[in-house]
Amino acid sequence: MSAAVSFEDVSKRFVLRHERAYTVLESMIGLVKPARRSTEEFWALRAVSFEIPDGETFGVIGPNGAGKSTVLKLMARILEPTSGEVTVRGRISPLLELGAGFHPELTGRENVYLNAALFGVSQAEAQDRYDEIVEFSELKDFIDAPLKHYSSGMYMRLGFAVAANIIPDILLVDEVLAVGDEAFQRKCLRKIEEFRREGRTIVFVSHDLDTVRRICHRALWLDQGLVQAVGSTDSVIDSYLQSMADPG
Amino acid sequence: MLQTWRELVQYRFLLKQLVILNLKVRYKNSVLGFLWTLLNPLFMMLVFTVLFTIMLPQAAVPNFPLFVLVALLPWQFFSNSVMMSTSSVVGNAHLIKKVYFPREVLPLSTVLSNLANFALALVVLFGMMIVLRGPITIWILLLPFMIAVQLIFTLGWAFFLSTATVFYRDVPMIMDVLMLAWFFLTPIFYPINILPQSKEIFGIVLNVQRLVYILNPMASLIASYRVILYDGAPPAWDFLLRTTVTAIGFLILGYLFFRRFRRSMAEEV
Repeated sequence: MSAAVSFEDVSKRFVLRHERAYTVLESMIGLVKPARRSTEEFWALRAVSFEIPDGETFGVIGPNGAGKSTVLKLMARILEPTSGEVTVRGRISPLLELGAGFHPELTGRENVYLNAALFGVSQAEAQDRYDEIVEFSELKDFIDAPLKHYSSGMYMRLGFAVAANIIPDILLVDEVLAVGDEAFQRKCLRKIEEFRREGRTIVFVSHDLDTVRRICHRALWLDQGLVQAVGSTDSVIDSYLQSMADPG
Repeated sequence: MLQTWRELVQYRFLLKQLVILNLKVRYKNSVLGFLWTLLNPLFMMLVFTVLFTIMLPQAAVPNFPLFVLVALLPWQFFSNSVMMSTSSVVGNAHLIKKVYFPREVLPLSTVLSNLANFALALVVLFGMMIVLRGPITIWILLLPFMIAVQLIFTLGWAFFLSTATVFYRDVPMIMDVLMLAWFFLTPIFYPINILPQSKEIFGIVLNVQRLVYILNPMASLIASYRVILYDGAPPAWDFLLRTTVTAIGFLILGYLFFRRFRRSMAEEV
């Protein structure tokens, strides 16, 4: 079976340094006076293993701080695992935050190109996609205005338009549907739906269990960095809801 | 290494976009915009000329405006690249935390945008060479090679400093002072031969001129620029060769340092 994404026994540790030497002076003082080094380890993920086959829509659910975003960041290669192995086949479009990399001084048009470039596409491809992106964002009239004059909704719309039209093999979606008005949210969902039909792989992180149930083939339930369940969406969500209703 | 190279080729559009962004942002909201690239060195040349031909006219250097301009432009390319590169990773924390791309493009784009500025400033230089009747000789053809050596040297520093700033935020402040000292230690507004050939320090006789060239790669780079553009003569090949080797060494060391820490940048910025 060909897996688009596979996690093999992946753990991720963050080191929280409460007294981090951020300046040369502080670290020199540290040499003379090795003060209470209060470092605290925090395991965001522990021995997480799962596979996402090509073309699957995969949901990641769990309470805040469960490690959902860490999973996405590992897939997007923003973070490196502390141990274990993350394998990703294909181009990933990280929708970790809409409009990440937008520059307020540049116009909408310039930002579309800058953002497309951030996703690693060539100039020719960016030019090819440009019209579709602008049309999808419904911001044609404002496209030559600097982004600093955009409303936050317009900002998000442009961000989603770029990320969704760059045609990744794997789409990562992290809570992005919480923004924008209802009409635009529906449009985003339609786009995700379209991706699904085209047989692309989607990883969807959300607190919106109804949407997860509707669009995801399978789901992963994380809690405190541990895999609680992975399997068909309905069964995973059912046991998740049960655990919340019945704590302990 | 090969994989990184392939990735950089894939992300060349990003590199280009970031270079353009750097240039745009620098001149945004300034009335004269790109003209500043041309005006700044001319004003600096004026300041040094007034200072050293009218106020302190001891060391008489013929055609002083050209003498100083020829050295000042490469120095500004180096110094601006170094200062801007310190914050090239930290200043893009929002990107590093949110999107994957080869981190190398950050210091690279900073240096390349300064290279673009330098190229523009060279237009001013050639204009001034005609106005000030500088020597236009075949040795000008060595200029691209000089620029390439300087680019390699500068990139080494950029990789090193952009990484160091991630862990120690006072690197830019340290470099501020260091670059000022470095500026004075490099024969930019004075000829190297005003330095003593031999000076006794703690009973050791030093050839200060030679020492400056050996310890300071920028000194031999600037001297070579000056020889080909101001003297119109062939450069000292032995120094040029040594500088080339030093520059490549700096790039390798700087890049290895960068590579060693690039994985953890997203967590540390």
